[in-house]
Amino acid sequence: MKTKKIILIIFLLVNQFAISQNIDINGYVRNYTGILYDKGDFSILQNTLNLDFTKSGNKVAFKANPILYSYNTDSLDFRLREIYVDLYFKNFDLRIGKQQIIWGKADGAFITDIVSPLNLTEFLLPDFDEIRRGVNVVKFDYYLGNNTFEIIWIPNFTPTKIPAVGSIWYIQTEFLLAPTFDWSKSEIIPSLKNSEIFFKYSALTSKVDIEIMGGYTFDDKPSMHKNLLLDTLGNPSLLIKPEYHRLFVSGGSFSSEIKGIVLRGEAAFYNGKYFQTEDPFAIDALVQKDYLHYLIGLDFIIGNVNFSTQFIQETILNYDNNMFKEKTENTATFLARYNMFRETLHFELFTYIGLTNEDALIRPKITYDFDDSFSILFGSNIFIGDKKGRFGQYKDNSMAYIKLKYSF
Amino acid sequence: MRHLHLKSFLIVMIIAMGLIQNVSSQSLSGKEIVEKAYNRETGEDQTSNLTMTLINKHGDQRVRKIKQFRKDFGNIEKSIMFFQSPADIKNTSFMNWAYDSEKNDDQWIYLPALKRVKRISSDSKSDYFMGSDFTYDDLGDRKLEADNHKLLDEETIDGKVCYIIESISKDEDYIYSKTITWIIKDSFIGFKKEFYDEDGDLLKILFIKEIKEVAGFLIITNSEMNNVQKDHKTSMILEDVKINTKISSGKFSERMMTRGI
Repeated sequence: MKTKKIILIIFLLVNQFAISQNIDINGYVRNYTGILYDKGDFSILQNTLNLDFTKSGNKVAFKANPILYSYNTDSLDFRLREIYVDLYFKNFDLRIGKQQIIWGKADGAFITDIVSPLNLTEFLLPDFDEIRRGVNVVKFDYYLGNNTFEIIWIPNFTPTKIPAVGSIWYIQTEFLLAPTFDWSKSEIIPSLKNSEIFFKYSALTSKVDIEIMGGYTFDDKPSMHKNLLLDTLGNPSLLIKPEYHRLFVSGGSFSSEIKGIVLRGEAAFYNGKYFQTEDPFAIDALVQKDYLHYLIGLDFIIGNVNFSTQFIQETILNYDNNMFKEKTENTATFLARYNMFRETLHFELFTYIGLTNEDALIRPKITYDFDDSFSILFGSNIFIGDKKGRFGQYKDNSMAYIKLKYSF
Repeated sequence: MRHLHLKSFLIVMIIAMGLIQNVSSQSLSGKEIVEKAYNRETGEDQTSNLTMTLINKHGDQRVRKIKQFRKDFGNIEKSIMFFQSPADIKNTSFMNWAYDSEKNDDQWIYLPALKRVKRISSDSKSDYFMGSDFTYDDLGDRKLEADNHKLLDEETIDGKVCYIIESISKDEDYIYSKTITWIIKDSFIGFKKEFYDEDGDLLKILFIKEIKEVAGFLIITNSEMNNVQKDHKTSMILEDVKINTKISSGKFSERMMTRGI
């Protein structure tokens, strides 16, 4: 209760300061209510206050984006999603602070887009600006004509956030023996040695837009080092040590328009990623393999409807049959979007289709803008298909939801 | 007598020159007139603040504010728009590269929520711009060769002598069966335009309400598109127009799209 009061006082003080300094304040207030089809339980009862403080200048700018979530219980979740300073020079820019970095040409897939880790506490359902976690970054961009050279240094590693035990999005891993977890190696101590570095070259031209990237990073998800231990009586037990490992990633993306159709492609090569294996000779039941993740996509317009479709493949190279994960996993996405009544009524259907496991996440939604500030959204998240699949595993979480949003 | 002869000769010459001038301008074809209007000098670059007001039949208004920059690079005209209001689209930017050749325009959009510059299809010229009564084509992106142009007549409106040009799309599926444009004869600037739907019925009328001279160039600063079928109109007002301020070519880049004004 005390913390909540402090947060609210800080908010009020910051607001007063912003007004006095002539800082731009924008944002929204949103109510988000979801109900599960199966049980009729509320899957989410969330109220959000999102504030955007910005001050722009010719040489310096800054942004602060605090966001407050209030849930059905009395809990209040405060996040400082972004807070950074921009320094502009003739041919280069510096952005220092907590920020979200988004790379690549994919929609709804994270291939070369690996700088900002994800917040998967509500699976893939949050809006794309809310699904990414801000990270402390020093970003340097050098410009040469339409070419941009970008270097990113992340002094402290931030992992992907996974659903907590008890959440409807938490998936219980099944073990043959009751496991004991040793979390001693699950934290990366911030240091120069443990920092991450990325680079990107991008060009925007009349024929094609391209990006080439590379990164010396950590895998955002921990590898589970498993050890079978025997006590003095010879009884077996399972010890699991989650640990984040270094990873070299390289890749690129492109997009180009051909006769009114936008063709997009993106690929990333992960060098020495850890995977779970049943190989009895494998150390800690893990094996390192190279891994390829890529997509090809098309955006086009028929009538007044905007369509977008993507084929995504994940492939483990030099695969061995003892591995848990399948050698190849194929996913497709489909998007159709249509606006009516002078862009006040919006229809959208976005679908992930798991081609390997024959499952899907279907996301229809209708948004009506009452005016330029206030909108109402009716939507549904429908999970279908094989329960072993990435989407089918959440079959019981199909839901309808409503979002009321006031922007200012 | 000799003096009278000279005077008569001069009178005849003046009349003849006037006739020649008249015949010369009358001899312009519909296409040539439209070409002159399309190629009318508007400066090498331009900066302005655009306020677009959408007004429905009940008089309810929705206002969009945009800061825009345009620069002619010879064979390419680049433009960039920064949306300033309403709040939910603030800091969105849109960039267009239009080519003199038959090549399709290149277009990109930057959505601050996605934090990514995305190439979009320019195959949507018939789409309405931000829910207004203007399509992208109406806003000036249409190519001269896309239509057959015919000079119908001349008419004087508000004291301005205008050519009346009928333009019919070469594409049979185009949203307009024809347009009729009144082009001011002495400046080759559009003054009024009627748009007819696929059934040949009048759909919209564009009225030019104000033309200002800025840095020696004539600029339309106030126009209104009236959809007579839906009883809906859109007003476009340009303010703070600046011409030939030597906008840097770097303004039309990914850097500026993401950074904003």
